[in-house]
Amino acid sequence: MGRSVAIMGTGQTQHGKRFDVSYPELVKEAVQRALADAGLSPEDIDGVVAGTMPSMMEGVALNHLYLADAMQVVGKPLLKTETCGSTGMSVAHTAFYWVASGMADVVLAVGYEKMYEGDSQATMTTVADPWIQRSFVAGAPGIFAMQSNMWIDRYHIPEDRLREAAAVISQRNHDDAFDNPFAHIKVRVSLDEIMNARIITYPIRRWDVCPNSDGACAVIFMSESRAQQMGRPAAWIKGVGYRGDESYLGDSDKVRWNTAIDAAKEVYQQAGIINPRRELDVAEVYNPFTFMEMLLYECFGFCDFGEAYDLVLQGTFSRGGDLPCDPSGGVLCTNPIGATGLIRVAEAAMQVTGKAGTHQIDGARLALAHAMGGVSQFNGLMILGSDR
Amino acid sequence: MGDRVGIVAVAESTPAIAKENLMDAVYWVTKELLDKVGVEREEVGTIVTAASDVFHSGISCANSYYWEASGGFLKNASRQDADSLFAFLYACMRILSGHFETAMVVALTKGSENPENDTVTSLYADPFYHRPLGINETTAAALQMRQYMEHYGISLEQCAMVTVKNLGNALYNPYAHVRKRVTVDEVLRSQPIADPLTAMQCAPKSDGVVAVLLAREDKAKKLTDNPVWFRGYSSAMDTSTLGDRDLLNGMLSQVARRAYAMAGIVDPSTEVDVAEISEPYAFQELLWCEQLGLCPEGGGGRLLDSGITGLHGRLPVNPSGGVLATNAYVARGLYRIAEAYWQLTKRAGEHQVDKTVHTALAHSTHGFAGQSHTVVILGD
Repeated sequence: MGRSVAIMGTGQTQHGKRFDVSYPELVKEAVQRALADAGLSPEDIDGVVAGTMPSMMEGVALNHLYLADAMQVVGKPLLKTETCGSTGMSVAHTAFYWVASGMADVVLAVGYEKMYEGDSQATMTTVADPWIQRSFVAGAPGIFAMQSNMWIDRYHIPEDRLREAAAVISQRNHDDAFDNPFAHIKVRVSLDEIMNARIITYPIRRWDVCPNSDGACAVIFMSESRAQQMGRPAAWIKGVGYRGDESYLGDSDKVRWNTAIDAAKEVYQQAGIINPRRELDVAEVYNPFTFMEMLLYECFGFCDFGEAYDLVLQGTFSRGGDLPCDPSGGVLCTNPIGATGLIRVAEAAMQVTGKAGTHQIDGARLALAHAMGGVSQFNGLMILGSDR
Repeated sequence: MGDRVGIVAVAESTPAIAKENLMDAVYWVTKELLDKVGVEREEVGTIVTAASDVFHSGISCANSYYWEASGGFLKNASRQDADSLFAFLYACMRILSGHFETAMVVALTKGSENPENDTVTSLYADPFYHRPLGINETTAAALQMRQYMEHYGISLEQCAMVTVKNLGNALYNPYAHVRKRVTVDEVLRSQPIADPLTAMQCAPKSDGVVAVLLAREDKAKKLTDNPVWFRGYSSAMDTSTLGDRDLLNGMLSQVARRAYAMAGIVDPSTEVDVAEISEPYAFQELLWCEQLGLCPEGGGGRLLDSGITGLHGRLPVNPSGGVLATNAYVARGLYRIAEAYWQLTKRAGEHQVDKTVHTALAHSTHGFAGQSHTVVILGD
């Protein structure tokens, strides 16, 4: 279907509290690194896709206007893709479809967020409608805690072992972040500290939660003919999937979460994947909360429902296991939201082109990238491979 | 680009200030759209909507809220911010990629539940250097208007005449918001906003939902006898600092050239049969006409005076009444597509132009003094 599309360059900022740069400077840092990585100059770019979280986040509306120069889009067409938390993934999808349509050969995708400029949880509470849901939706932790509790209840997951599994995930991500030069939170925490940390929203405790980050990510998508002219390793897009739910939390099942299940089916079908745990070499799962990471493993068919905690304790999803997840340290250590989904894509591309440095999974040839968003609504995925 | 993309159906909301909440308004318009061609929601391949958080009734992540109302439940869908022509283009790309046969584009803004447009547009400015100056779309447009008048000798009366023409056209458009016969004198005597702009030369704030169904060529021909084809486009952003830009020579000329080249148009002033142009400020219709190559540079005033751009002129511009009549901010680009579609399929009713239309132009803009311009060419 359509033309083949490859990722030929990625760029990330040093994510973190970036009071040393302005918003445009932050975005420019990622764009310049992506161009340098691909060996391109701004004139080589046919169009730009930009994406971010709502304007309330930084207090700049329609911020592609403000960031036009930083994104090198002056004189060029722009698309501005936004789908809440899954924005970064939707930006990648837009760049993919743009190139696959034949309307451009080289498209630059840029996701960005400067979260220390504002109040992210206040912003996210305004995602809920003002009449019914907003008064009881306490930012992202409230929603995802509710979803996690429904899941625990449905499958009678033993709470002590689940708590331990979540601690293993948290520790694994925090340890992995030390191998990622761009990661934000770099802290060594013990399993004991994680399990006994203060509660944010039950069952979520302090170390089960992602941070706020300032950061940007830029990724260069290319048509098959242009990519092959480059004569260097490419990350080929093997599958693109996305699904969305209704806006009211109670209207659909968030445990057998259809948007995650169906979006995964869509990408597996396109990529010809039958057994994801065996066939995938690495997965970058959007994991702002440890418990959600396990629920997503189940929705993506990495294991059966109610089984993830046990496999996590066996090391199935750690480095050296069947399917290493989030070797970058994941969202749990770095979360500039508008960029976060695109960082998953960039990390997956780095893995299948052997460019992930000290967090490289040896011999990785097929990778999954994921992001979610909305009021537990949206799931977007992309499969990337070393072979066309 | 192998296959062509065709528009097979269009639906618009009415009236311009609606009692329905946004979810109902979106539902009714998308339902009307699909009913027109007998397509079930389940059959729609993908959906791209256009809405901005800042023009969205105080709800962030706009598409989270109206997702199911637009038919998106368990579908592969997405959203474009700021400009609904972006959504139109993204939907075309999704079809041309070979992944989808059909795509629905939905644009929405409920101005009546939003703050004043310029309360929002002032937030486009960078927070440090420009915002404290009070710059917004209207004050930026006033600077551009003064420069335009002085450089080319355009008169206040010629600018006001755009309002007279467009609000007059809107009288014949049942979907339009501001519909009245006004005089040049009334326009110039209306409340001063930012000199030389007066209130009636500035677009209102409207409610509006527009939906367009697109299909790949073979499918389009099955769904309708007279599809309208996507023939060309271009788009460009200008630099963000107003002082770094030539306000009389922005990106629109090159955008137009690229769109015409893609559509195989050599002389737009004779080959474009009707143009729907975004003119949030009256004088901009004249300036944009020049940059779109519909008349020579500096000739926007004379073009209007000649009557060529009138409803029954040789090259009607904004027969719908344009943005001056209906300004559902984010939706206005897709309104131009919808209106071009009505003209091409001879379904514009009382505001159908008095000529055969084979080629139509749709244009949208946002940002200070036209920082972003997009042009789409449609044909029968």
